Amino acid sequence: METMAVFSLASQKASWLSAREATIASNVANANTPGYKAQDVTPFSSVLSHLQLKMTATEPGHMQPASLSGATTRAKPGETWDVVFSGNSVNLEQEMLKAGEIHTAHSLDMGVVRSFHQMLMNAVKS
Amino acid sequence: MIGAILPIALDAVRGLVTSPAAATASAATAGGGFQQAMASAASDAVKTLKTAETTSMAGLDGKASVQQVTESVMAAERTLQTSLAIRDKAVAAYQQISQMQI
Amino acid sequence: MAIDPLISSMRIAGSGMQSQSTRLRVVSENIANAQSTGPTAGSNPYARKTITFDSELDRASGENLVEVKSIGVDTTPFRVEHMPGNPAADANGDVKMPNIDLLFEMGDMREANRSYEANLQVVKQSRQMLSDTIDLMRS
Repeated sequence: METMAVFSLASQKASWLSAREATIASNVANANTPGYKAQDVTPFSSVLSHLQLKMTATEPGHMQPASLSGATTRAKPGETWDVVFSGNSVNLEQEMLKAGEIHTAHSLDMGVVRSFHQMLMNAVKS
Repeated sequence: MIGAILPIALDAVRGLVTSPAAATASAATAGGGFQQAMASAASDAVKTLKTAETTSMAGLDGKASVQQVTESVMAAERTLQTSLAIRDKAVAAYQQISQMQI
Repeated sequence: MAIDPLISSMRIAGSGMQSQSTRLRVVSENIANAQSTGPTAGSNPYARKTITFDSELDRASGENLVEVKSIGVDTTPFRVEHMPGNPAADANGDVKMPNIDLLFEMGDMREANRSYEANLQVVKQSRQMLSDTIDLMRS
């Protein structure tokens, strides 16, 4: 029931980003907790495929969307950069890098929503 | 449903909306279903406004997230604006008709 | 995750900052008492304090907060220095000195600071994301 598909997609992305931010907060806060294992969320592309949101090209000249998979990595036990003797596997640098990714993606999301919202409002006002 | 109105009321955004409802709405309008479309637009606006109100109140209560509140408010804004535009155009058309010499 | 994941982030990072603060306090105590001998002859000096963190699941919100589990005592044997004139010297003139390695404590302090800053960064970013979302509604 949404005007344009971009708003639904931006909404899903924003929710995913928030969840990921909370996971990173948990990792960073527990960086010194013995036995704590770093967590991450499933990549956005697999979240998307569950919701069957597809970007359709309505005309031959339209660009195909770049693949969303591979945009983020999931921290499987062997993939974290180090596991110290306390059993804690959090790496602060890695978490800070992820936080940076989130910040950029979120800014983009906000920008897209703001732009399309304003465009729609302006188009209707005339 | 508002997405169905856009191609009709706004030539400027033609092509942006890809919803399949647009096709049926165009047909309905061509067949004289404009009144129906108008009524739907109005009820949509009311519905979205009510949802926005409920979500905002939940948000103020701490029971909805900031994102949910923002989204519902913006959706209501869009729907309301669209309905107002349609209403204004309908009123303008009526006024034009009423001023025609008999 | 609570209703709003970003608010959860701030709370979780806040608990991290608090824990690292306590850690810094413990390290400071150790550094300040690196030379603190016992009050009487042959008595034990200041014993190094250790800190342990634990993950605490907040039932109401489902958040993985961190807390200080305990502040314990390091049972490593004390260093012994031969200082016959010292009030704390025993019959042989040996004084027991605290089991504190200043270099280690300084390193720990830097680590605690780094962790504190990282948690603070998460708080700032979460707050920024919330603020940006709210700004969408403006005008």
